[in-house]
Amino acid sequence: MSLVASEVTKRFRNVTAVDNLSFTVAEGSLFGFLGPNGAGKTTMMRLILGIIRADQGNVTWKGRPLRQGGRGLFGYLPEERGLYPKMRVDEHLQFLGRLNGLDRIKAVQETERWLERFDLGELGAKKIEELSKGNQQKVQTIGTMLHDPELLILDEPFAGLDPVNTALLKGVLLEYHREGKTIIFSSHRMEQVEKICEDIALINKGRLILNGNLSLIKRSMGRQILRLSLEGNQDFWAKIPGLSLLATGPEYMEFRLDNDTDPNRVLKEAIAAGRVTRFELAEPSLDQIFVEKVGAEA
Amino acid sequence: MIPILVKRDFMSRVKSTAYIITTVLGVLVFIGLTFAPPLIQYLENTLFTTGNLELLVLEQQAEQSFFPYLEKVSAEEEDLYLQAASGKDEREALRYVLDKGLTGLLLVDPPLYTLVTDDGSNMVINSKIENLLNRALTRANAEKLGLSPNDVNNLFQRADLRVRELGAETERGHEDQNQSMVLAYFLLFMIYMALILYGNMVASGVAEEKSSRIMEVMIATVKPLELMLGKIIGVGALGLLQFSIWMGVAALMSALGKTGILGGMLGGSVSLGSIPLQSVLWFGLFFLLGFFFYASIFAAAGAVVSRVEEVSQVVTIIMMFIIAGFFAAYISFLNPNSAFAVASSLIPFTAPMVMFARIVLSNPPATQIIASVLILTASVLAGAWISSKIYHLGVLLYGKRPSLLQIARLLREQN
Repeated sequence: MSLVASEVTKRFRNVTAVDNLSFTVAEGSLFGFLGPNGAGKTTMMRLILGIIRADQGNVTWKGRPLRQGGRGLFGYLPEERGLYPKMRVDEHLQFLGRLNGLDRIKAVQETERWLERFDLGELGAKKIEELSKGNQQKVQTIGTMLHDPELLILDEPFAGLDPVNTALLKGVLLEYHREGKTIIFSSHRMEQVEKICEDIALINKGRLILNGNLSLIKRSMGRQILRLSLEGNQDFWAKIPGLSLLATGPEYMEFRLDNDTDPNRVLKEAIAAGRVTRFELAEPSLDQIFVEKVGAEA
Repeated sequence: MIPILVKRDFMSRVKSTAYIITTVLGVLVFIGLTFAPPLIQYLENTLFTTGNLELLVLEQQAEQSFFPYLEKVSAEEEDLYLQAASGKDEREALRYVLDKGLTGLLLVDPPLYTLVTDDGSNMVINSKIENLLNRALTRANAEKLGLSPNDVNNLFQRADLRVRELGAETERGHEDQNQSMVLAYFLLFMIYMALILYGNMVASGVAEEKSSRIMEVMIATVKPLELMLGKIIGVGALGLLQFSIWMGVAALMSALGKTGILGGMLGGSVSLGSIPLQSVLWFGLFFLLGFFFYASIFAAAGAVVSRVEEVSQVVTIIMMFIIAGFFAAYISFLNPNSAFAVASSLIPFTAPMVMFARIVLSNPPATQIIASVLILTASVLAGAWISSKIYHLGVLLYGKRPSLLQIARLLREQN
């Protein structure tokens, strides 16, 4: 009972946008689809939705292609935003709701409710083209969830939103997630995904790099991050095996620590070298995992 | 699904300024046409009256004077006065004309007739005098030949050919033939206008959806064929409403003015009320088939461009086909059952117009009518199917407009 992509390949002329990609999104999960620009995220989402057809492999939701699932099954926010510019905001949302199977009364009610939820209550009578880009994007996001679909597919939903609206959307998505709905969203900003997602797929150049539960992935990386501040000999670490410097900042130095290396040993050596003001072990960030994984691929 | 799409397409356009303006302009044109014949009459009566024409006639010496004939004919006119310039030479006669303020001097020297006047560009006066001369000449010649006025009438009698087709109930005279010609022409023109007007509306509607990028959401939610049909039916309904308003106004006006619009326009004696029901039904059928056929092509054309501004480049080709259809129908008017007419009534691009014209003008064999309708219907279905594929393909096609060859290749890849 989930979304399953198996061995999906899509080529455009001589570019392979999606290369033998397989992953699973469990029902009810909040799933982050990650990768740098041009990794194939948008193509993969279009393949999931059946907007374009895969050259090989297939994607199913609960055992069937998504398009055959009937009306109102999913909501989709494409990367290229677009609405009918001449239509009124409320009429536009009602239209989208009706297309996705809501009856007339329900469409009116839900439009009103969601406009309120997104702080757009007073804009219902305006034309789409009179709205700011950010507000248009909010309207379109409402259009994806107004009919209460069981699956949301959002392509870069946070791009173009200010911090206030980013927080707002995050709240809405988490709430939706608590109701047991499945949400797949893409992003190229790892730190954003890290904060709300449980499960991820990380792709680069059309290939799958990582897939699964985020904290499991972090733990299985076999490495930890060590942040350390020291007043004294800054070069003490050079002789410790399994420790490599990632960055030197004004507040601390950041190291990568192999699993075989005992952090206590590092601490001892550090104390011997001077006064330690900070010693912190952390899981690697998605960014770091990504750089490491992609670096290894290249 | 489709009704929701139709409603959106219909409602969003029906309230647009452009639509309201064209509708009102159309109404004004039809009202104008109704009042055109009385208006032209009025203009003729006021602006183009010549007032009294006073001519001095100077005749060269001849065995038989022409003047009495001129005088006799001019006596039948109300505003024509002739004087004979007896005994004057040309200089004196001219002076007399100028002194008395007459219209001009008419020099009669058969076979030369010359009008000397200060304003030779007044066509109304010129033709009136020419007419006078001709009538006088006919009389003089008739008398010379010893013909009575009755004989003259007999001489100019014309034959009126009536035509009866084998198996037909009624025979047709010139009047009837003219009437169905005018009718066919008018309705044909309506089909032609509608195809171009609403076809373009479909194409630019699709292009707008692409350029505003709403298309991707729509195509994810709705089947391409449904999306396309929604647009075509929505725009079609819009056209139907507009035409109904125009026809309603026209019918009302022709009832009020008692002058048929077509009558006024083309000098025939057809009024809208006299269009036979059968023709209206055929009109409806071929109008619908033609519209669906061309609209699906227009929709596909709109789907391959990225911006609304590019639409006109693509639709030009389609318009060529429509214009070709119109001319094919026009040529078929002369001989509705010629090989050319039969062939072009079986080609889907020209069939809606040619077959319709043939049915109104003649009685083509039922097999040809059925064949034409079947071919058209099949083409409508095939056209809609192919166009919906291109439509789907076009959603994600941005940037450089693809060639027909590229589209064909992409379609093959897609399947």
